[in-house]
Amino acid sequence: MADQFLVLIVLFPLFVGLLIPIIAYFNKSVVWPLAILSLIGSFWAVFNTATQLLKLDPSSSISYYLGNWMAPFGIEYVVDRFNIMVLFAIICVSLLTTIFAKQVIEKELGDNAANFYSLFLLFITGLLGITITGDAFNLYVLLEIASLTSYGLIALGRGRALVATFNYLIMGSMGACFYLLGVGYLFIKTGTLNMDQLYDVLPLLFDSKAVLVGFVFIILGMWVKMAFFPLHSWLPNAYSLAPTAAACLMAPLMTKVSVYVMIRFMLNVFSTEYVYSVLTINNIIVIMSSIAIIAGSIYALSQKNLKKMLTFIIVAEIGYMVGGVWTGHVDGIRGAIYHITADAFMTLCLFMAVGCIVYRVGNDKLESLKGIFKKMPITMICFLVGGFSVIGIPPTCGFFSKWYLISGAFNSGAWYFIIALIISSLINAVLFFRIIEIGFFGAMSNEKPDYKSLQSIKFNEVPINMWLPLVIVSMILIILGIYTNEIMTNFILNIVPMM
Amino acid sequence: MIWQFDILLLTLVVVCGFVSLWIKDLMGAVIVFGAYSFLMCLVWTGMGAVDVAFTEAAVGAGVSTIFFIATVFHTSRTIRYNKWDLSTKFFSSIICILMGFFLMVAIGDFPAWGDALSPVNNNVAKYYLENSMEETKVPNVVTSVLADYRAFDTMFETGVVFVASLVIFTLLLQSDGRKKLMKSAFQKVSFLNVSESLIIRKACGLMVPFMQLFALYVVVHGHYSPGGGFQGGVILGASLILLSMAYDIKKVFARFHMKFMIKSLAVGVLIFAGIGLICLILGGNFLDYSALSKLFPSMGSIKSRYNAMLWVEVGVALTVMSGMFAIYTSLSSNGKFEEGL
Repeated sequence: MADQFLVLIVLFPLFVGLLIPIIAYFNKSVVWPLAILSLIGSFWAVFNTATQLLKLDPSSSISYYLGNWMAPFGIEYVVDRFNIMVLFAIICVSLLTTIFAKQVIEKELGDNAANFYSLFLLFITGLLGITITGDAFNLYVLLEIASLTSYGLIALGRGRALVATFNYLIMGSMGACFYLLGVGYLFIKTGTLNMDQLYDVLPLLFDSKAVLVGFVFIILGMWVKMAFFPLHSWLPNAYSLAPTAAACLMAPLMTKVSVYVMIRFMLNVFSTEYVYSVLTINNIIVIMSSIAIIAGSIYALSQKNLKKMLTFIIVAEIGYMVGGVWTGHVDGIRGAIYHITADAFMTLCLFMAVGCIVYRVGNDKLESLKGIFKKMPITMICFLVGGFSVIGIPPTCGFFSKWYLISGAFNSGAWYFIIALIISSLINAVLFFRIIEIGFFGAMSNEKPDYKSLQSIKFNEVPINMWLPLVIVSMILIILGIYTNEIMTNFILNIVPMM
Repeated sequence: MIWQFDILLLTLVVVCGFVSLWIKDLMGAVIVFGAYSFLMCLVWTGMGAVDVAFTEAAVGAGVSTIFFIATVFHTSRTIRYNKWDLSTKFFSSIICILMGFFLMVAIGDFPAWGDALSPVNNNVAKYYLENSMEETKVPNVVTSVLADYRAFDTMFETGVVFVASLVIFTLLLQSDGRKKLMKSAFQKVSFLNVSESLIIRKACGLMVPFMQLFALYVVVHGHYSPGGGFQGGVILGASLILLSMAYDIKKVFARFHMKFMIKSLAVGVLIFAGIGLICLILGGNFLDYSALSKLFPSMGSIKSRYNAMLWVEVGVALTVMSGMFAIYTSLSSNGKFEEGL
């Protein structure tokens, strides 16, 4: 059993996701507990894999051969210190979201709830599979699973969600198609799909045009999937119109897993030598991400709707990570890798808090937040912890990732990236202090506070299974911040080769 | 490959692509798409990729054309233009040309077609060709690669079919209010609003058993000839679709009920994944079929690989069949599951 943990991570949610449509015909009330159980099982498998991994030498990895076929012939699962972090983030986020989502799903989806849970678990399966696999084509198949389920999850939302999904469907299929074309080009030149073998073979082919085109298409495909600035148009509508539970799951994970894939291909398939020395496109991409950061922040500032505002913050955060990796300095790459985990929890915290607000208040307009601190104190304190993390106030983890990103930009001389980071932090501060103002003093910035109506507001917090995960997430944000140093030395230092 | 024939086919493919963009009538565009798929199928056959050609013929030219027709039937047959149309067209064509250019740039760098020394033919594929017969006793290497060496991919591909059908089914099976909204929003096209004749019903009824027999043959004979779970499942699904087009959906549901359809959709993938799980429980890795020989000692590890692949194909066929039928019934009846096209 001990050597099967790698595949068990994916199998738990897969089997329960497939069983739910059948079980739901007999008994609908067991679906939620089953989903929780499967994710706990998966968490247990991740935890055991991590303990096995930490006993080994820091640079080594654990492999699992599916069907017992050796690596380049069969499909290989690989866990090293890079993706174990991402796996932890995925499984924690999805477990907390599932616990949180019970009432929201019942309220928003009604009869469709069972099928929603099925898609929900298969989406998690897809993300776990993308993260754990060591095979470029297996990654594509699971990307398809994750994308198709996410189209379904978003389309079940309210209002114009179907139109938003259609835009996402077209863009997302293009992204997946680009990735597949890229992998196809690599396969023609190397004859293999295994990432380790690609890493060994590709250095001989660095001057090949086909490899260049393959690289460009893989990165472009991932940019579409992660909503990097000029390609972001699908994200805000899709995530703000999706059902709350789906938004809480997708917003933190889908984009971050795409960033993980991009970094994985840059470091472990194409090698840093190819990305930073053979290709000389670093500066252009760092400039693009600076533009992405500033544009995302400005768009966020102009929104009157809380969820929309958060989606544009995601667009800006993607700019942080892409820019950080492409600075080409060790600190920038480390910051970006750390930010994958940190940002997953930050986004989860904010989206969950907004989910709670929508559950009690009924909408997510900024003006309906008046006096919200008195009504839902726990939710709002957690929302603020998330907000402070996005702004980058210590000891939350957002501060430390920003610190590394700025250090990387400083050492590689990308001053425009530093400026973009600082501007974005300032704009984020404005965004969240505006919410504090509305929520605490009960007035938009252009009107006088009305204290009488504030006094009439009663304490009305959400049920415990909704606020408890939220409190846990906000504590994780602080704990991650406090233990930054340990995470860096134990995990991230070994991933990024010295340059 | 005969180069004159190839050039002719590829020219026709490009022409079909342009025509389907050019044409204003969506039904026409769908038909041209069908022709495009069929031509691509001929191109694959010319290249010797018969399994791919088979899938393209069944899925691309066959079932997906019907899905498109069902969609057009329930939405709109004509394209509505808006004022942004010209600029969108302009930008998207520039992007398409740029992407095409990028892809073309690298072609000079490719090994020649059929080059025995190319990397593809000398790495993993070489191993499959040399060892597949010994290790699995399956003469059709495509099947042994799909169902054994890379079975994990195939399991998730089946999962993709499951997810796609479940999404379409869940989305269209909505509350009545939403159905009314959909009806008023789209003007219904009634060009096929003629009751089916007795001749069509009887002819289709005669064809269905032969189609299903052929489909079963394709599923089980995948070890020796082109075919397998996907293709066979699509043909099985197509036979049900044909029946529900000739009669109506209710008639088919009397034999293959909607609830059963959704269950068998999940059961197919579960058969595949379940076989993998049994291997895991018996002490092998996930999907390591040779572990099954512990359960059936008479088979031995190679024979159990051979047999497990068959069951896996059956699972795939079950999911694909119910998936195709679920998508068709949801699309053609607009989620009401009554009459259909």
